[in-house]
Amino acid sequence: MTPSPPLRILLVDDESVRAAMVEEALGQEGHEVICHLQSPASLNDMVERHAPDVVIIDMESPDRDTLDSMSQLHRQNPRPVVFFADQHDPESMQAALKAGVSAYVVDGLVPTRVRAILEVAVARFDAFQSMRQELDRTRNQLAERKRIEKAKGLLMKHQNCDEPQAYQTLRKLAMDRGQRIGEVAGNVIDILEGLEKGL
Amino acid sequence: MSMPQAAERTHLALGFVPLLDAALPIVAREGGFFAAEGLEVTLSRESAWSTLRDKLAAGLLDGAQLLAPLPLAMSLGASGPACDTLAPLVLGRHGNTLVLSAYWSEGMAAPLDDSPGGHDPAVNARDFAERLRRRGTTRPRLAMVHPFSSHHYQLRDWLTLGGLDPDRDVELVALPPSRMVEALEQGRIDGFCVGEPWGSQAAHRGGGRIVATGAQLWPDHPEKVLGVTRDWAERHPATLQAMIRALIAAAGWLAESPEHRRQARDWLTLPPYLDRAMDHLPTLPLGEAPVDQRLTGLRPAADELAPVVEHLARQLGEPLERAAVEACYSPVHVDTATHQERA
Repeated sequence: MTPSPPLRILLVDDESVRAAMVEEALGQEGHEVICHLQSPASLNDMVERHAPDVVIIDMESPDRDTLDSMSQLHRQNPRPVVFFADQHDPESMQAALKAGVSAYVVDGLVPTRVRAILEVAVARFDAFQSMRQELDRTRNQLAERKRIEKAKGLLMKHQNCDEPQAYQTLRKLAMDRGQRIGEVAGNVIDILEGLEKGL
Repeated sequence: MSMPQAAERTHLALGFVPLLDAALPIVAREGGFFAAEGLEVTLSRESAWSTLRDKLAAGLLDGAQLLAPLPLAMSLGASGPACDTLAPLVLGRHGNTLVLSAYWSEGMAAPLDDSPGGHDPAVNARDFAERLRRRGTTRPRLAMVHPFSSHHYQLRDWLTLGGLDPDRDVELVALPPSRMVEALEQGRIDGFCVGEPWGSQAAHRGGGRIVATGAQLWPDHPEKVLGVTRDWAERHPATLQAMIRALIAAAGWLAESPEHRRQARDWLTLPPYLDRAMDHLPTLPLGEAPVDQRLTGLRPAADELAPVVEHLARQLGEPLERAAVEACYSPVHVDTATHQERA
């Protein structure tokens, strides 16, 4: 079996990290990726100049209507782009929609090749999403740890106790109230700082 | 009279594009008209009509503000995968403006003033055609919002009035409404047809001039509709009726007094809705010439879609079945909803 020739893929995505992930993955499959981080000034011109076989674009991009129109208008365009809508494969459509990937392909491109590209893009969009959630979680944890440290410091000062005792106080408060220790730390800070301001 | 059934679903997500004719869903939410029908509605701002269409078809949205031709185009499989879609309610009439850059529109009559040609859209169209011939430059690039939109069709009709061929004499492109004004100011396009508030904003900022309006070209045309998939409508008949009643109540409230319209304008200016796009609106009289945005007359009628049907048939290269048009824009849902007493 001869390997399929590489495809030209235009990637339009404002998320630079995500775009890099998709670009790398598709590049590894041997495709030629033209990557655009910002919405190009004229997507029409860009599609005509690069004549891509596939356009991968963030579903939330306002440029989608421009691509939608290119299959309807511009009959002079030698490489019309049509919306990939594989009605025989609703699952992959749903997966793409949920991940936020929309794809436009030239008419006549073999569906299996499109599907493979779409799967790669969907996987990277999903991975980026989990990465961002993980980052948010880490940030929250860090903020919470800082809050606990600050609450401990205030308790040590106001109750004249040492660090393990201050931590015990926070833990007991959390258990009594059925709250997380981070939440209790926030309350303690509010109260003790209020006291300090009142003094 | 029968009492309405309880809504099958009380938490709904409706999609909209930031335009003046997104007003009814916004008023229905902010003014408590959805809540009065027992509905808790989230309004989801979308940046493209294709995204709205795809999310509606995939069931990620319960309903959406749609370009009037879109439910029919979706049902026929002309736009995205075929998805039987209904337009049970009109959400607005008029509101489109045709704007040309200062270079192309200098000295042209305002659409509805008393100067020669002020009331006849063909005068400016012929003027534009004449300038085009005289200047003999590259084809001007004119933007509209989507291939299946009244903006696209009205732009074509206006060019035809001037004796121009929309496919040969100009280049048509699609741009999102929010990008039109900037693209015109940067010289990337020479004109556009778009819904309010973008046309008046371009004129207000001085980048262009309104040379024709949708109200002139297609008087009373339904511009935006509520869109739901047939599948959704069949599974949620009572919810659909509650939604329709809430939107009709919002329209009635809006028509009651200028204070209500001012309040609505304040709601539309909120960041989740139109935000900065509304900055120039206090200078504009709503519901008057030249734009004449109407948020009344919400009962759909297939006959009013005649120009849309004609253009859609041309795009598809075949005549459309009358039954398909009537099924899509049937008034039966409005009639059912309004003939029942409130719970």
